[in-house]
Amino acid sequence: MGNTISGLPQIDWANVQLDVRQPSPDRTDFFQTLENAMDKVQEAQAGADQQVAGVLQGNGQDLHTAMVAVEKADLTFQMMMQVRNKIVQAYQTISQMQF
Amino acid sequence: MNLFGVLDINASALTAERERAEVTASNLANAETTSTPGGGPYKKQLVVFETERPGREDFAQTLSRFGDLHARGVTVEKVVDDKSPPVRRYEPGHPDADADGYVSFPNINPAEEMVNLMGAAQAYQLNVSAVQATKAMISETLQILT
Repeated sequence: MGNTISGLPQIDWANVQLDVRQPSPDRTDFFQTLENAMDKVQEAQAGADQQVAGVLQGNGQDLHTAMVAVEKADLTFQMMMQVRNKIVQAYQTISQMQF
Repeated sequence: MNLFGVLDINASALTAERERAEVTASNLANAETTSTPGGGPYKKQLVVFETERPGREDFAQTLSRFGDLHARGVTVEKVVDDKSPPVRRYEPGHPDADADGYVSFPNINPAEEMVNLMGAAQAYQLNVSAVQATKAMISETLQILT
């Protein structure tokens, strides 16, 4: 029985190439997209705010245009909230994972 | 065009109907007006509606337009004077009477104008209902995520 146990081959750590992918700077990740979406929501709300102020000051602003702008702002906000809920839900699912 | 674009279409109709109501109100108010800054009696005004023209757009917008269903809003193209001649009434004591004692009154039938105003009000209501329906559609769509 000439079986001998030999040690593991030495790993030359200095020359190991680790495959770590750096995100390229021009790639927009999901959170960037989310941030842009939130900017849009902010924009819609600011627009609606301005139009309602215009109506209340009585400077000839159309009533219905202001109403539609408010509704649009409301709906974009609701959309953002739904996306946020979904993200939080996904995060909680992952954080409660059992190993 | 997404559902928010549908809101814009109905909003354009609301603006147009508001202007129609405005012009009709002007016609009603001036049904007996015999003198105007331009001279002569008031002329009945008529609104002309037109499909909304696309504004200035770049090539990408033009290209994306071919993808949608060519849905367009409405605008008031112009407000024109009615062509019908004024109604002449014999009132020699009137300051606007001509040499023969006749005064030119605008050819406006208040009942007709009232019907026009009711039409504008109904059309406005119709478009408000459409806006509400679109709003409900968007809200329902957001419920998909829950």
